[in-house]
Amino acid sequence: MEALYTVFIDPFVQMVEAPDFLLQVLWEGLVSGVLYSLIALGFVLIFKSSRIFNFAQGIMVVFAALTLVGLHENGVPAWAAVPLTLLVMYGLAFSIERVVLRPLINQPDIVLFMATIGVTLFLIGFGEFVFGGENKVMITEQLGIPVGSLEFEPFGGFLLIEEKDVTAVALAILLVVGLLTFLNKSSMGRAIRALGDDHQAALSVGISLSTIWVLVWFIAGVIALVTGIVWGARAGVSFALEVIAYKALPVLMLGGLESVSGAIIGGLAIGILEKLFEIYWGQPLLGGNTETWFAFIFALIVLLFRPQGLFGEKIIERI
Amino acid sequence: MTLHMTADQAPVAPAAEPDVLLNVENVSLSFGGVKAISDISFDVHKGEIRAIIGPNGAGKTSMLNVINGFYHPQQGTITFRGQVRNNMRADQAVGQGIARTFQNVALFKGMSTLDNIMAGRNYMMKTGFFWQCLYWGRAQQEEIEHRQKVEEIIDFLEIQHIRRTPVGRLPYGLQKRVELARALAMEPDLLLLDEPMAGMNLEEKEDMSRYILDVNQQYGTTIALIEHDMGVVMDLSDRVVVLDYGRKIADGIPEEVQANQDVIDAYLGVSHD
Repeated sequence: MEALYTVFIDPFVQMVEAPDFLLQVLWEGLVSGVLYSLIALGFVLIFKSSRIFNFAQGIMVVFAALTLVGLHENGVPAWAAVPLTLLVMYGLAFSIERVVLRPLINQPDIVLFMATIGVTLFLIGFGEFVFGGENKVMITEQLGIPVGSLEFEPFGGFLLIEEKDVTAVALAILLVVGLLTFLNKSSMGRAIRALGDDHQAALSVGISLSTIWVLVWFIAGVIALVTGIVWGARAGVSFALEVIAYKALPVLMLGGLESVSGAIIGGLAIGILEKLFEIYWGQPLLGGNTETWFAFIFALIVLLFRPQGLFGEKIIERI
Repeated sequence: MTLHMTADQAPVAPAAEPDVLLNVENVSLSFGGVKAISDISFDVHKGEIRAIIGPNGAGKTSMLNVINGFYHPQQGTITFRGQVRNNMRADQAVGQGIARTFQNVALFKGMSTLDNIMAGRNYMMKTGFFWQCLYWGRAQQEEIEHRQKVEEIIDFLEIQHIRRTPVGRLPYGLQKRVELARALAMEPDLLLLDEPMAGMNLEEKEDMSRYILDVNQQYGTTIALIEHDMGVVMDLSDRVVVLDYGRKIADGIPEEVQANQDVIDAYLGVSHD
């Protein structure tokens, strides 16, 4: 009886008794959720247009962040370092298409998946070779990201919101809205969707495979850079950042690999739920640190009931 | 049937010296040891409907694939509008004025009818990446312009009611029509149709025949089509080329081809008297 009370009643009593603290927890969860969504979006874009599960998305975040910081360390001013990093990411997209993807056209999906693992390992080695393996600090202030904090007093309590988290959320929303408009309204977006649907038909209407692949990998690179900046500002820039890409995996299981809205909603849901679980159930009952595994267990449970994910495309096709 | 479009070009009258749009000369194609096409030559005149017929496995679809660049022939030349086409990429065919449909309907199944047809005009849209991201100014204007043309085609093929339907849910006959619409949206000089009537019932076949004739006459689009239904082929086409085991066995107007003994033996079957 005692145990049931602590699991099912007590957490909710706490939430109601300290609503300001609940808001704080929700906000923290939202910020991580936004970042999970961003990374998942990178996966979804590439998967939609080429059926490739891009294992390298995580290391691309590290690589983008390292390039940005590395350029700044070598005397490039911050305002110039961002476009330069974008240029590097474009070069990366271009080389991946030319060297890795093009020779593997028409190979089974698993071969392309393995190739992206190869890209991951290469980028780890190459990144360490160029920038060294030690941890770096994100050039937050130099980029003009505010570092102060805002204090509120909701319900007579106390709520602290860091300005860089606000920036992170704002940046992410901008990027997502831009991407959605691009995908759904523009002709290039239509080409990306078309290519994901049927390669042969796409070729026959004059959509070039290589152009779209470079474009999509470049967009994934842009997403990686934004994620790298905002996550780096919170946790520093190191190869450990790659781990957050694995957090995107349960998001993808939840959202379905093909759904843009699924990635967004899945990311937010996991971010918020894992934070709530950690604070109200994990720490008092399980000794904490549940954030590392909660998302995976949650995704597993969802998959038991909906194998295609919450938002996955269940293709209805006439035969 | 009412026609909503004004003809850009008048129907091409048969001239004394026909204008050759596409010329296929001594083309051979093999996959490893298998010869799909051996030493085939034929031409397509501007403004005509040219049928390619033959039994299953005769090399008809391979021939279309060679013409629009999916396959590259080992030997022979293909001349389109007076220019020799060597090893061009499939995605470049559209820009040169060749559009096609597929035997087994290759549509973007998750996308709406409208999006599918708009995809046919993608290659004409030139606005840069940046503006497209904002969907502003040029990008938006360009979409609207192309949308008008697409609506004309939708009217022409009478598919207004399925404009917003994801094509994967449409019945087969309508999917074929959407695919034709997408090909028309590319405003091709040469339209390649791979079995446009396969799997259709009589009524659908009649409709499709009507559309093909209208496209040919109203737009002056030259058409090369593969078809198994002999009645349709004989009614629609100006000239017929017959393939069998990768070789050409006859070429001429429908009546000639029908009377040709080789064709009767190979394709229509030897008659039992």
